[in-house]
Amino acid sequence: MNCERTKEFLADYLAGELDEKTLAEAQAHLAGCAACREELESLSAIWTKLGVLPKEQPSAALRSRFYDMLEAYKEGLEKGGTAARIYQTISSRLSRLMPRRPTYQLALALVLIIAGLGSGYLLNVRFRSNARFEVATLKQEVNDMRRTVAVSLLKQASASERLMGVSWSSRVDRPGDEIITALLETLDHDPNVNVRLAAVDALYLFYGHPEVKDGLVRSLAGQTSPLVQLALIDLLVGIRERRAAEALERLIQDEKLNPKVKKRAELGLAQLS
Amino acid sequence: MKTIVRLAGIIVLLWAVGMADTAQQSQADHAVVSFTNPAKPGTVEVDVNEGSITVRGYEGKNVIIDARWRERALTQEKREIEAALAGAEEELDKEELAKKKAQAEKSRGMKMLAVESMGLTIEEEDNVIQVSVEEGKRAVDLIIQVPFSTSLQLSCRDDERGVTVERVDGEIEVDTSDGPITLTNVSGPVVADSSEGEIKVVFGKITPGKPMSLSAMDGDIDITLPLDVKASLKMKTDEGQIFTDFDVQLTPSQQKKEEDERKEGGGYRVTYEKVTLGLINGGGTEIQLTTYEGNIYVRKAK
Repeated sequence: MNCERTKEFLADYLAGELDEKTLAEAQAHLAGCAACREELESLSAIWTKLGVLPKEQPSAALRSRFYDMLEAYKEGLEKGGTAARIYQTISSRLSRLMPRRPTYQLALALVLIIAGLGSGYLLNVRFRSNARFEVATLKQEVNDMRRTVAVSLLKQASASERLMGVSWSSRVDRPGDEIITALLETLDHDPNVNVRLAAVDALYLFYGHPEVKDGLVRSLAGQTSPLVQLALIDLLVGIRERRAAEALERLIQDEKLNPKVKKRAELGLAQLS
Repeated sequence: MKTIVRLAGIIVLLWAVGMADTAQQSQADHAVVSFTNPAKPGTVEVDVNEGSITVRGYEGKNVIIDARWRERALTQEKREIEAALAGAEEELDKEELAKKKAQAEKSRGMKMLAVESMGLTIEEEDNVIQVSVEEGKRAVDLIIQVPFSTSLQLSCRDDERGVTVERVDGEIEVDTSDGPITLTNVSGPVVADSSEGEIKVVFGKITPGKPMSLSAMDGDIDITLPLDVKASLKMKTDEGQIFTDFDVQLTPSQQKKEEDERKEGGGYRVTYEKVTLGLINGGGTEIQLTTYEGNIYVRKAK
């Protein structure tokens, strides 16, 4: 599915009215196309806001009120003369409030301008903080959506889709435990070496998270692919994780270990201690 | 619907009938398997422990599998190693040795018939065809013809001939331990890894959107992309070099890590990942290329 076709379906997508096949195609395209995802996100934000507005229903009294109003208006037209007189008295009374001397007029104008500017500024500040709050909420929503998409992609049958899941995970700000657990799970159990390697790269971005370092050290013992072993050793030595020393020592003891991995592990061990 | 074609042990070599000469030639198995729903692209999964896999796309609806059994799976060297290992085990395990002696006693004065089970299994379920070969003493060369749109999952260990794929447009997942991976006229997404072999991929076109990843340890990674490809490359090599004839726009690596522990009495350190990020024609499909000792070649299609 290309961008144009996906955009046609976005509204139906949000309304949940797509058939399974088109939905799958649209999801596949969305997962791969950042532009369309942005469009979807902005559209969904607008929809959410529209959804909050209560629906206006005409009440039964509306009809009679309308005709009352029409009557009143007609009467008003007939009494036009009185209305004009009332207007004149009001304007003459108002003009009496206006100071006669130009200096006072100027002073009054200045006072009004300052009052206007001041209230405008206050309003603006309040509006801005409100907008900032809304942007923050939106960001949060986008982040939550990314998280959900990432975790569901990590469970796909196709390795390419799982790779996409890892790459989405690494774009989540402040990943929750859910993402970290899913990435560590991928690192330990994904059947594809490339997906596991991508998980190592993604976890590197989150190594400040308390569970990540433990998970990485634990994972080293269970890896069978020399490529993943090398990547993990590089990462653990790179972040100077001292607890990795023990795991490296155990790895070196393994007789079946790839000689290149062994060399790297020994080098890493020397760097750590 | 479940179709099971079992060819395990179909061919028994008839030494006793005096066919020793024909037995020297390699044996072949042939099978044609259809998908449950031929209108939908199917998947072929192949797992070979010793041997090679060749897959070609063709204009047909069925999957045609030819298996050629090699006469000698183990090289002389490997046999020696195995014999040495067996010897060592026997020395260690007296009980086992006694058992073997007892067996030898039983078959005294008789000669052994060489019955070699081939152990090829083909299963189809829900548009997925699985081809697997039992671990045995003989290597196999599988030649498989599939409809163009088929997705492939190929796994091949311990062989120098590796995996070859030609003209397949589905998703391709390949892993080998020793052998090379050679994919020609494919459109991806391709996810491949090899420990000892090199990876060579010639893309006819690129299916946009889905990410790709190729990883090797010793071998080179050599990919050929169409001229107008939009790709974001993430390349990593430890000891090798990167070559390309594309106009690649390099972007600074984002894999930067800052650590400031000076407040806690530690030091300050910035580390950069050894990653090169490059955009071709403004960027697009994510392609990650990782090799430890090999070079990376990114070529323009000629």
